[in-house]
Amino acid sequence: MTENMINCTNMEKTFETSRGPVPVISDVTLQVQENEFLVLFGPGQCGKSTMINCMSGLEPVTGGSVEVNGKRVSAPGADRGVVYQKITLFPWLTVMGNVEYGPKVRGISKKERRERAQHYIDLVGLNGFEQSYPNQLSGGMQQRVGIARAYCNEPAVLFMDEPFGHLDAQTRYLMQEDLMKIWEKEKRTIVFVTNNIEEAIYLADRIVVMTNCPTHIKKEYRIRLPRPRDYVDPKFLQLREEISAVVDKAL
Amino acid sequence: MKKKKSNLWWVSVLSIAGFITIWWVCCDVLKLTSSASLPGPITIFKSFVNKMSSTAPDGATLPGHMLSSLQIALGGWGMGIVIGTPLGIIMAWYKKADLFVRPIFDLVRPVPGLAWIPLMILLFGIGLIPKIVTVFLSAFVPCVLNSYAGIRQTKDVHLWVGQTFGASDLQMLFHIAIPTALPLIMTGIRVALGSAWTCIVAAEMLASTKGLGYMIQQARGIYRSDIIICGMLSIGALGALFTWILTKIENRIVKGVRKDA
Amino acid sequence: MLNRFHRKAKGYEKIFCAAISIFLFLCIWQAVVSFTKVGLVLTGPVQTLSALFRSIVQPIGTHTIEGHILWSLSRVLVGFLLGSTVGIILGILMGWFRVVEAIFRPLYEIIRPIPPIAWIPLSILWFGLGEPSKYFLIFISAFCIVTTNAYAGVKAVDPELMGAARMLGANNRQVFSTVVLPSCVPHIFAGLQIAVGASWGCVVAAEMIRASEGVGWVIVKGQEGNSTVQILVGIVAIGIVGFVLAVIMRAVEARLCKWSVRGK
Repeated sequence: MTENMINCTNMEKTFETSRGPVPVISDVTLQVQENEFLVLFGPGQCGKSTMINCMSGLEPVTGGSVEVNGKRVSAPGADRGVVYQKITLFPWLTVMGNVEYGPKVRGISKKERRERAQHYIDLVGLNGFEQSYPNQLSGGMQQRVGIARAYCNEPAVLFMDEPFGHLDAQTRYLMQEDLMKIWEKEKRTIVFVTNNIEEAIYLADRIVVMTNCPTHIKKEYRIRLPRPRDYVDPKFLQLREEISAVVDKAL
Repeated sequence: MKKKKSNLWWVSVLSIAGFITIWWVCCDVLKLTSSASLPGPITIFKSFVNKMSSTAPDGATLPGHMLSSLQIALGGWGMGIVIGTPLGIIMAWYKKADLFVRPIFDLVRPVPGLAWIPLMILLFGIGLIPKIVTVFLSAFVPCVLNSYAGIRQTKDVHLWVGQTFGASDLQMLFHIAIPTALPLIMTGIRVALGSAWTCIVAAEMLASTKGLGYMIQQARGIYRSDIIICGMLSIGALGALFTWILTKIENRIVKGVRKDA
Repeated sequence: MLNRFHRKAKGYEKIFCAAISIFLFLCIWQAVVSFTKVGLVLTGPVQTLSALFRSIVQPIGTHTIEGHILWSLSRVLVGFLLGSTVGIILGILMGWFRVVEAIFRPLYEIIRPIPPIAWIPLSILWFGLGEPSKYFLIFISAFCIVTTNAYAGVKAVDPELMGAARMLGANNRQVFSTVVLPSCVPHIFAGLQIAVGASWGCVVAAEMIRASEGVGWVIVKGQEGNSTVQILVGIVAIGIVGFVLAVIMRAVEARLCKWSVRGK
């Protein structure tokens, strides 16, 4: 399969504010292939999350178009899954309830969705916590539930918007490692946003470096290092230096 | 979600206009209800205008009644703030005070303010004092509760910072704990106003010779529901007005202090 | 002093101090009544408590004190259930549907600032002196509070949670039933708790103004008969029931809202 999973053509997004229009995304054209792990890497807060919101359909684009799996994106839909930076688990549902939420609202039978949810709960390593409520879990565990929830809906594309941004450094390394394992076991098309260069190189098939606001594509890198990658491998460090030099320093 | 500003204001206008029209048609045109139980909006408006200057049937004009109620309510409310807020702060800050005063406070708290009215009347007779005391009691409780909860929100980290800089206990109370508690203290004062206002109406209905509560109670005796509704609307309007003023003051004072703290 | 508020007092220390302070309070009360002129109008704690226990078997008026409490509670129950049911439904609908909000919000805002007690004269004219007028009053008092809270609860739903639900494939109706409804439950419960207290205060007021039984009647008859003992018995009974109601509501909340921070 060589067909593109995501096709962004001249994507634009401008917010109308009381102080006039603010352009956030300017002319982004981007293709993502099936089962590719794409990292959007860039400084600051500007633009990347909006790109995720536009590609997932939570916000309409103001110019150009976004196609996922051959269909034009205009509204939220179950064929796209999102893992957010902020924990957005439903606090009144247990881990099981959260993970099976997607299949449930789409009317999948209880038996089937339970099985499927259990599979993904096991996959993210939360076996035994099915009946816990999110406020009983640590930040890293909550984010695992978020990943399982997104996976369990079996979307064509997964968007991850700085999912590890709020975690402490140790947990972050661990989560990166585990995410890689999960992805190698169950390949999906993933678009991952981060402002952490190590995280980007560790995870990506391809890194797209974005500029500051209004954001557009500055440069692309294909990462061909073998997995699992080593943070102190000379090639890793060299790449890190190279990409760092390209990024806007205005943080 | 939809962030668009509501453009449905005309529905609201229609809703109120419709409500008043239906009321008018039912009462004044079709005469479905007797004027003793529900007069039409026009009758009420007329008696409102009339009552502004007329002392019939209860011995005072509407502004006179309002003034009388306001005096007592604001007096008792002020006392409630002056005594209740510091008490709450002391209870929250000093452990000893908490251990010894809290139980007595918890004993008195579940009794609604207006249940004290008969006792106060027996103790102090009919007059200003029993009413002020009852209003005080009902305003006092929310002031204590909220300032207590507010002080308890003080972050230990902030106190540690204070200690590191060598602040004394009192300095920490006034420079750290009380500013933290300010939003909740203001909330307590606002809630207290509501209870004080309710309480004064009840007290006036039970034993009084003036005031809005007295006015509506007297009007019931002679089946003047137009005056009752005028009174109710005045009570509501005054309550809303004072809450609004307080909210404005609150927003000014609390500026800078995080509300979600 | 490191953790000023987090060092919990040990259980026995708390109980010990509470016992001392309440005992002192009662002693002062008794002393004031026994040794000063206040004794002419106020009774001491000993007399009050013995009168309270006596009233468990000896009726005040036509009922014993439990009888009066049950009368008052039954009034609260009817009015509270009706008021909070209507309040929850109206509040949620106002919060979710903008048209419903536009229609009912202005009317509701006119009624809301009027204290329920101010409805007493009108409710007597409308519903007579019997039970319906009391149900109506308590209905109003519970309704106003619960509507406000349910409405605020819907308005406070985290838009990111709604976005997440939409992304997982939930349609509008499902977002409403699986996200909006559960997430406003804690707000509604906070409202119900306040409403129970307010309803209890309201029934006392209603009975003080017009009734022939109930705890409010007990204290008002005490006033008419110049009997502070009876008033105090009534006040103590009102306080105890108010306290028990609050405890029950808190326990129910803790059961139902295990997931929320408030419920903890």
